[in-house]
Amino acid sequence: MSSKELDIYGRRDPTRQEQNFIYAAAIFLIAVGLGAITVLIYFILTNSTIKDAIDGDGSVVLAFLDAFGISVPVLTTVMGLVIARLGFQLLRHRTITAARWTVVAFTWMTVGSLVIGIARFFTVGQPDKIAGESGFQFANAITSSSSFFLIAIPLALSWLGMSSIVNTLFHGEESLSSSNSRVAWNLLIPTVALLLVVAVRPLEETFVTSVTNKRFASGDQKVEFVGLDNYKNLLTVRMDIVDCKKDEAGNCEVNERTGKTMWELINRDLLEKGYRTADVYSIGNGRGVAFSGTDEGFILATFNTLRFTLSSVVLELLLGIIIALVVNSSFKGRGVMRAAMLVPWAIPTVVSAKLWDTMLRDNTSGIINKFALDVGLVDQSKAWLTEAGLQMNAIIAVDVWKTAPFMALLVLAGLQTLPSDIYEAAQVDGASRIRQFFSITLPLLRPTIAVALVFRTLDALRVFDVFQVLLGRQRLSMATYNYEQLISNRDAGYASAIGVVIFVVIFIFTAIYMRILGIESEQ
Amino acid sequence: MKTQTYDHNGDPVGFLQKFLRPQTFGKFAFYLMLAGIFFYTVFPFFWAVNTSLKTEQQAIQSTSYVNTHPTLVNYKAVFNNEQFTHALLNSTIVSSISVLVSLLIGSFAAYALGRVKFRGRMLMMYAILAMTMFPQISILSGLFGIVRELDLAGNILSLVISYPIFTLPFTVWVLTAFFKGLPGELEQAALVDGASPFQVFYRILLPLTMPALVTTGLLTFIAAWNEYLFALTFTSTNADSYTVPVSIALFSGEVSFQDPVAERMAAAVVVTVPLVILVLFFQRQIIGGLTAGAVKG
Repeated sequence: MSSKELDIYGRRDPTRQEQNFIYAAAIFLIAVGLGAITVLIYFILTNSTIKDAIDGDGSVVLAFLDAFGISVPVLTTVMGLVIARLGFQLLRHRTITAARWTVVAFTWMTVGSLVIGIARFFTVGQPDKIAGESGFQFANAITSSSSFFLIAIPLALSWLGMSSIVNTLFHGEESLSSSNSRVAWNLLIPTVALLLVVAVRPLEETFVTSVTNKRFASGDQKVEFVGLDNYKNLLTVRMDIVDCKKDEAGNCEVNERTGKTMWELINRDLLEKGYRTADVYSIGNGRGVAFSGTDEGFILATFNTLRFTLSSVVLELLLGIIIALVVNSSFKGRGVMRAAMLVPWAIPTVVSAKLWDTMLRDNTSGIINKFALDVGLVDQSKAWLTEAGLQMNAIIAVDVWKTAPFMALLVLAGLQTLPSDIYEAAQVDGASRIRQFFSITLPLLRPTIAVALVFRTLDALRVFDVFQVLLGRQRLSMATYNYEQLISNRDAGYASAIGVVIFVVIFIFTAIYMRILGIESEQ
Repeated sequence: MKTQTYDHNGDPVGFLQKFLRPQTFGKFAFYLMLAGIFFYTVFPFFWAVNTSLKTEQQAIQSTSYVNTHPTLVNYKAVFNNEQFTHALLNSTIVSSISVLVSLLIGSFAAYALGRVKFRGRMLMMYAILAMTMFPQISILSGLFGIVRELDLAGNILSLVISYPIFTLPFTVWVLTAFFKGLPGELEQAALVDGASPFQVFYRILLPLTMPALVTTGLLTFIAAWNEYLFALTFTSTNADSYTVPVSIALFSGEVSFQDPVAERMAAAVVVTVPLVILVLFFQRQIIGGLTAGAVKG
């Protein structure tokens, strides 16, 4: 009888049946937690590459990382322990905090197993074309996913059971901060889990691959640990002073077709060591600085990317500010104007690149050549996309067209937050419009411009689409160089090292960006 | 004999001086600049339309500024091109799924980050912000390895599973800004009345953020629709799985021995017009959404 009495919070003691259910749920939690760790260990011990490695055929660490990565084993262990601990807590005390966390655990374990089940169903069911299968393989799909659907049933029952008794049977008060953090993590778990799967896992895969000589589609080539060789090859750069090639009169020879100065080669023994010159920059007096390295292609790609980034970002910013200042005045049809400015942004980059490709055609069927000829800017049509001296300008022009109006819209949004009374005061004091711009507008816009600048820089550093579509393999950016190594050369290890280098560069810029912006908060 | 007039400062006044006066010259120069900007932003799109209305012969001959014999033959060809119609369907599927998944999952996270105070919140905010700038190219080889292991190369499923890398952090970041901007009183009143945090989220905050969800969804859709790197890498082995950008980049018309310029422009116009219309309709919201995260700092 006493078990039916309610305490002041409306809670009562559990019946024997309910108590058994709580015990069962707790033991289930412990079993799931410890079971996950056991399964992980089992997979590691039975993995064939690791076994081979232990038998002295390659690196054990590499085999482990290649098969499992870092995040999956670490997370499985940590989450397994946390869940098992929750089970033990539930077994000993009927506290409300433990109960509510138990509900959270059961919720997401149910959802997780269903999602994994569905994912396995669809991936395993894909017909294996090498094995000559066609159509969706239902039998395979169901066998491999059924265990996940089966375990979802007890998980879901425990979830429902626990949430129905959590407020009536469990004791204690939960502090606001602990309840807040439970609610927050409950909401964040799907995002965190998805990002771990789709971003962190491939990232660590890239890191691991970058220290191997892995290649795609090369039969059963053995993947070997090569240490930092890929990075060494990629990043070895040296600068040498070289002379230009002299004709009989002692003047520098110039390549007649490209109009570029011709340079002597670097030292023979450097060449024998594998150094190749990527580019030579003249420093006057018939001398130049030669940038050479073991991978001259990557050096060139880096130069191209840096040149692209610097020019396009500066031009976009200047043009963006000018456009924003013009459009900021009030006039009829301002809405139309703003809409027109969004058009280049809305057109997919690939489409706009192809569009410019058509406009830049190297004979008079290209409108740019036609117009330039008609106006008299050039005396014969130019091959904008194949002539080495024009390629970068063309690419930069295309990118500026696509992004400057968007930049203008960002600056415009910033302009509209500026208080008008300052300008009125400046007007009264007789400051000219130009003076107003430099003393008021520009300083106040600095945060907006800084943010836009860093955003654009990050975008430009990883430029892929315009380069790939307009120049193909003629001239590469860092990203298209990475793509070529991966797809054309099938050199996954080397491509991964490039990916890591780009990641580090972007990461540094991101850190700078966060320093500048901070996150608006109650800090 | 010329007569020279002078203004009250004793400076000479003529036609040019009058014209150069701030009022007249300013207005003229202003409208000239406006026209210039409008022309600069819109002309390439106009030219795509113009080219798409030419025959293939006209398109590769020496061009003229005006197309005297417009024809719809390219549009007919484009819609009979299976590779292209497949691509439209593929892009629609992939982009829609990306939007739905990102909004569903991302709105939870954004509510937590924008509305709930908890330990580790700042860390999560920084992590999400860093993720919005995550360079896709860095994980290309790792992801391609995984895609090949799962045997998903040449299958749009590979895009469905990889697009959250950029759509999800973006969605969370923009929606967090919106959630932060909502007044707190409503929520407190509901909590006092005994609603659970989930009820507050579903019943009160979600309806209020409906416009934000639409905008964010639209932006996410455009981002997924325009994505090229993953699509090119993962689907280029199978023409049935091309998305729109890949299809346009690798476009092969009905006449295979020549580069189908006019037909490709017709395809470009077909995929761009819906986007342009959407953008024109939602321009205010789009600018708001894009600047929500960026300008407030």
